[in-house]
Amino acid sequence: MKTLIRLAWEALFLSEEPYAEMRDSPNAVPRGLGLVVLVALAVALVGLVGGTLEWATTPDMRDVQKVVLEGIKQMDWYKELQDNPEFREQFTQQFEMGWRIFPQLFGAPNLATAGLQIALLPLRLVLTWFLYGLVAHLFARLLGGQGGLGQTLGCTALAVAPQILNLATFFPYLVVGGVVGTWTILCRYVALKTCHRFRWGRALAATLLPYVALAVVVSLFACLGGVVGALIFGGGTTQ
Amino acid sequence: MKELFQLGRDTLLFKHEAYVQHVARADALKRGLALLVLVTLIAGIASLVVNFAGGLRPTNVQAELREVEEGLQAFFDDAGPFLNLPPDFKKGVYQGFRVARPGIEMGMRIADLPTPLPKPVGIALSSLGKFLSLPFNRLAGWIGYGVWVLLAAKLLGGRATIAQTLGATAIYAVPHVLDILGPVPCLGGLLGLVATVWGIAIYVKALAVANEFGVGRATAATVLPALLFTALALLGMLVLFILSLALG
Repeated sequence: MKTLIRLAWEALFLSEEPYAEMRDSPNAVPRGLGLVVLVALAVALVGLVGGTLEWATTPDMRDVQKVVLEGIKQMDWYKELQDNPEFREQFTQQFEMGWRIFPQLFGAPNLATAGLQIALLPLRLVLTWFLYGLVAHLFARLLGGQGGLGQTLGCTALAVAPQILNLATFFPYLVVGGVVGTWTILCRYVALKTCHRFRWGRALAATLLPYVALAVVVSLFACLGGVVGALIFGGGTTQ
Repeated sequence: MKELFQLGRDTLLFKHEAYVQHVARADALKRGLALLVLVTLIAGIASLVVNFAGGLRPTNVQAELREVEEGLQAFFDDAGPFLNLPPDFKKGVYQGFRVARPGIEMGMRIADLPTPLPKPVGIALSSLGKFLSLPFNRLAGWIGYGVWVLLAAKLLGGRATIAQTLGATAIYAVPHVLDILGPVPCLGGLLGLVATVWGIAIYVKALAVANEFGVGRATAATVLPALLFTALALLGMLVLFILSLALG
C-alpha cells in the first residue's frame, strides 16, 4: 500500500522513474488495479465528507423550490399568463419536472449521490483505465512499441495519479475543475513513452489516438442513431 | 520554505543562474507547483477576508435594491450629460433592472433560508472553499495552455522534458502575488496588468532556459498557441457569417 501511494505521488509529478518501476514490475496489472481502486475509494470517501458538509450548510431544496415558485409568480410575464388555466397546468408540470433535474445539474449537494460514488467511482475509473490501456496498447504496438499489454496497463494505471487532486474536495464548495483531465493526458503520455521507450512524437500519437478513436466511434453512433431515428419517426409521419 | 522565497525573488529579478539551477533539479515541477500554489493563496487572502466579512453582514433585500436604484439614478444624473447616451438608454436600463429585480430578491431570500449547521459556519466554509479553489483555477489555465506551448516548443526543437518545461513555466505565477491588492480600486487593476506582463516575461525566460533555446524561439512557442486559437476563432466566426449569409 505504502509503495503504491509513493508511486502515485511520484507519477503525479511526471517523473519517468515510477513509470519505469511499474513497467519492470512482474505484477504490474494487479498493482495497477490496486492503485486505481485505492485512489478511487479515497477520492469517493473524501468527497462524501465534503458533500456532507456542503449539504449541512445548504438550505433544504424543498424550501428553495418554494421560494423560486413564489418568485416566479411575482414576475410580470407570469402575472400576464396566470389567468389561462392551460398555462397554469403546463407550467406546474414543467416546473416540477425541471426541479427534479436542474438542482442536480447545478451541483446541489446530494448525500445519496455522494454515497453512491463509493461504488461507482472505482468502477468508472477501473473501466476507463482498462479500456484506455487496451486501445492505447493497440496503437502503441502499431507504432512500433516494445512493451507488453501488462506493462502498458501497469504504466497507464499510474495516470490515475491526478485524481489525487480531487482529495481536496474534502473542503466543501471547493472546485478542482478541468486540471485533472489535462494532467491525466500528460501522465498517460509519460506512461506510454516510458513503457514503450518511444520518442516524443510517437508517444504523443499513441496517447492521443485512443481519444480520436473514441471521438470517431461516438460520432458514428450519433450518426447511426440519427439515421435510425429519422427512419422510425420519418416513416411514422408519412403513413 | 526559505528556499522557495529565494527562488521567487531571484525569478522576479530574472537572475539567469536561478532559472538554470531550478530547471536542473529533479524536483523542479514540485517546486514550481509549490510556488504557484503559495503565491495564489497569498494573493487570494484579501478576497477571502472580503467574502467572509461580506457574507456575515446582515442583508436587507429592499434596502440593497434601493441602494442599487439610487446608484443608477446618481450615475445618470452625474455622468449622463457627458456621455451623450441615446434617449432610450436610461429607460432600457431601468426596464432591465425591473425585470431582474424578482430574480435578485429570490436569490437573497434563498440565502436567508435556514440550514442544518449555523449560518456563519456555512459562510466560513463557502469562503474557504472558494479561496482554496483559486490555485486549481490557476493550475487549470496554466496547464491547459502549457500543453500547447509544450507541443510548440518540441516542434521548434526544444529539449526539455514535460516535467522540466512545466516546472520552469510554473514560476510565471510569482508576480501575481501583486493580485493581493486586486480589491483596491484603480491600483488593483493596474498592478494586475503589471503582474500579467511580468509573468509572461518570466514564462518566456523560463521556457528558453528549460529548452536550451533563444528568447526568439521561446517567445514564438509561447505566442503560437494563442495566435492559433485566435485564428481558429476568427475562422469559425467567418464560417458562421458565410453560413448566415447563405441561409439568408
